[in-house]
Amino acid sequence: MDAKTQKYDRQLRLWGSGGQQALESAHILLINASAVGCEILKNLVLPGIGQFTVVDQGTVTQSDIGSNFFLDADSLGKSRAERAAELLGELNEDVSGHWVAKDILSLLTENPSFLSQFSMVIASDITRQTAEKVSSLCWTNLNAIPFVWVKTVGLLGTARVILPEHVIVETHPDNVADIRIDSPFPELSNYAKSFDFNTQDTLEFGHIPYVAILLKYMDEWKQEHDGKIPGTYAEKNQLKANIRSGMRSGDDENFDEAINSVLRSCQPTVVPNAIKAIFSDPKCETLTAESSSFWILARAVRDFVNDHGKSGGLLPLSGTIPDMKAQTDSYVTLQSIYKTKAKKDVQEVSNLVYIILESLGLAPGSIASEEIETFCKYSAFLKVIRYRSLEEEYTLPKTKQIASWLSEEDSAFAQYVLLRASDSFFDDHGRYPGEGNDWEEDVDHLHANVATLLQSWGIDTEVISKDQTHEICRFGKGAIHNIASFMGGVASQEVIKLITHQYIPMDNTFIFDGARSVTAVFAV
Amino acid sequence: MVDAQTITDNERWAGIYKLLDRNSLIHPEFEPQEEIKEFIQSCKILVIGAGGLGCEILKNLALSGFCDIHVIDMDTIDVSNLNRQFLFRRADVGKPKAVTAAAFINKRVQGVTVTPHYCKIQDMDEDFYSEFALVICGLDSIEARRWMNATLVGMRDEDNPDSLKPLIDGGTEGFKGQARVILPGITSCYECSMDMLSKPTGFPLCTIANTPRLPEHCIEWAHILEWPNKHGERKMDTDDPKDIQWLYETALARAKQYNIQGVTYSLTQGVVKNIIPAIAATNAIIAASCCNEALKIATTCAKNLNNYMMYSGNDSVYTYTFEHQRKDDCPVCSTSATKLDFKGDKTLEELMDYLKEKPDVYKPSFAVGGKPLYMQAPKQLEEAMRPNLQKPLSELFSSGDELTITDSTLPFSLQVIVTFI
Repeated sequence: MDAKTQKYDRQLRLWGSGGQQALESAHILLINASAVGCEILKNLVLPGIGQFTVVDQGTVTQSDIGSNFFLDADSLGKSRAERAAELLGELNEDVSGHWVAKDILSLLTENPSFLSQFSMVIASDITRQTAEKVSSLCWTNLNAIPFVWVKTVGLLGTARVILPEHVIVETHPDNVADIRIDSPFPELSNYAKSFDFNTQDTLEFGHIPYVAILLKYMDEWKQEHDGKIPGTYAEKNQLKANIRSGMRSGDDENFDEAINSVLRSCQPTVVPNAIKAIFSDPKCETLTAESSSFWILARAVRDFVNDHGKSGGLLPLSGTIPDMKAQTDSYVTLQSIYKTKAKKDVQEVSNLVYIILESLGLAPGSIASEEIETFCKYSAFLKVIRYRSLEEEYTLPKTKQIASWLSEEDSAFAQYVLLRASDSFFDDHGRYPGEGNDWEEDVDHLHANVATLLQSWGIDTEVISKDQTHEICRFGKGAIHNIASFMGGVASQEVIKLITHQYIPMDNTFIFDGARSVTAVFAV
Repeated sequence: MVDAQTITDNERWAGIYKLLDRNSLIHPEFEPQEEIKEFIQSCKILVIGAGGLGCEILKNLALSGFCDIHVIDMDTIDVSNLNRQFLFRRADVGKPKAVTAAAFINKRVQGVTVTPHYCKIQDMDEDFYSEFALVICGLDSIEARRWMNATLVGMRDEDNPDSLKPLIDGGTEGFKGQARVILPGITSCYECSMDMLSKPTGFPLCTIANTPRLPEHCIEWAHILEWPNKHGERKMDTDDPKDIQWLYETALARAKQYNIQGVTYSLTQGVVKNIIPAIAATNAIIAASCCNEALKIATTCAKNLNNYMMYSGNDSVYTYTFEHQRKDDCPVCSTSATKLDFKGDKTLEELMDYLKEKPDVYKPSFAVGGKPLYMQAPKQLEEAMRPNLQKPLSELFSSGDELTITDSTLPFSLQVIVTFI
């Protein structure tokens, strides 16, 4: 095992070499080296992102070193960008760190395409005005750049993910087993029939795989019920009873496994609605030479499913089956039957992929065979997330949904409202509520900002109490390391999911209330 | 180089001091007092573990203003720690975690003293633990957690408020984790959430020996059956790459024999060492949650977690906060005993065999009403009491009597009321 694999072993078990490669190819921009910004970067440098750049015009102050682990006493008075980049860089010798001691807005005025070099932009504790500018540039970049905007205010933290579209194949669902008891393919049926249920050999009987048991009894049921599988609860129980009657001893584990699988097996294998939605998406319907491999593959699988002769109207077989009580060779044979069928489906889909690529004027090698294989394996679990932009959030509020969120008891959405109102307060006063010593005087002003926002949504201003507004002023936009570290963990994890295209990122606003120790996600 | 004297607490801890200096209408019971700031600076706080969670916890506590922090860890640094245990560098591999972590924090954060203890938690006694105001655990074993929990719960004396040591416990695995606050004798404890009667997990021996199907079965065959066959008394060192290589090749050969795919070096290591995937992000979340609770408990600036937060990050970001209930018959924190129905004509040995099927019970000793019935040690006592093993229970005690069961593997004694059926 080489040194890097050894070092990254514990994370490779989560996202594999493919995910690791994606991380190592990434160049991440951090705007503003505040405590939470540096905590986010810490959790990205440690697992080995390729490069990072810190943009921050500030110099290090005492309150910086009290909340930020990557600024120390030696850093006082020095460039925040430089010192943070240095102390973050030494966490991992494989990562290259850069820094620019400039304010991002001036940088962007000098060089409007400054952001294009980055695969991810993260901003911590910046003003709404800056966030809107950066967000817009990321969104409209030729290849849209994911933008993650994070803030901490006293015991509160929030993170917003913004990008037009994010697709995931490797969602890592809990169970990828695809055993098709309700709709067995011919090779499977034939193999199941080869088991001798009348055998006198107890060892042999006790090791008949439960898949074969289920298929036998399901087949008998279908013959007595017009080809249909059990539908009602009573029918499913009857099937269980039928199987139970075939047991020879109370210890037949394989029969127990079959009985325990009845409910699941009676759920018909279908193309999930979420996948149907992907199939009917305009990006699947209309392909161009610029289409991403995800949409080309989606189209190929759709065409496969629609060809009933090849697919039976079902998605490609995943090829995975669970472990079960069985003799080694019956299990291995059963497993290879599923794997062979899965391979056959992959071959059919691959042929369709090549046809599509050719029609688009693209080379057949444009999509690697491993990618086609992985896509087929996870075809029932694909996910497409379309995020709302900041502009949509601000100009096209989901008023009905917001009213519903606010109507829940102790709703965490109240914190979202208060944080938005704080941004408006900043626009009015050039500072955040409670930052100065006469902090209580800000309560009325902030509450007026809250009322304006609620009114703009047509919501009763009573839903947020003045006590809650008072608490935000109490926080005074203070940086508290524990909160910065918590948000650093959450935001960095979302960044990793976005870069690796594995696991499912949140949509789209995360709130952490450190006072009540609760969190929530809202798609605002 | 700035003179340490010019760093003022008011500026450095500005964020936290806003909470401590200002009253709250949401938590009206909170009273700003200078004593709270003094308390944070002067109290002793203990961190158990200087690994993935421990490094984060130490950083967080230091940047919360705690000045007197102790850390216990019996391990040394391994290369595979470096992807998340950020107080360690490649040059530190092989050194004790506690010592290295303490040195890093002491250098980075002005004014804090982290005192390391390179030893097992069981090496320290109640006198040691009673010095601390708070204990935060970032452990990776159930056994260690149970021990710490039992010790702190055992130390609590209702008549002595100082004996109440809040225990904050965190755990992570991949994208999941949990943080909980245990107030010994008041809230549910760690043992309340253990299921004493659950079967241990693992592959059945007959599958490993006779009908392997998964690559894991082949690996466990090499590990449990073939190793002693080929190496006799010599125990495997799971940290030795040569031993893992032997296991891998042996498992692979067996897999080939049975046409089983999937045996890799990585899987071999994972199965034999029970490797849990781990990343910096999840550890950061759970450790921060624990330290957030620590600061709230130490300052009362807001209500602390009551008492359990579960976290899951593989699909969106999800937490579930709830109050875990105390178990009425918790062997550690409750005063009432577990109940067991057993045939009175069965022997003490049969009762012992029954109990041995439970996790953690290996060589139990029995006593009733303070009188020993059977002791595993010392040798003379064991020999003298051995005849009791063959006696029926009804001869040894009455139905409804309370048995005290001890075992070196249990960090506490088990009280069981046996009713004859």
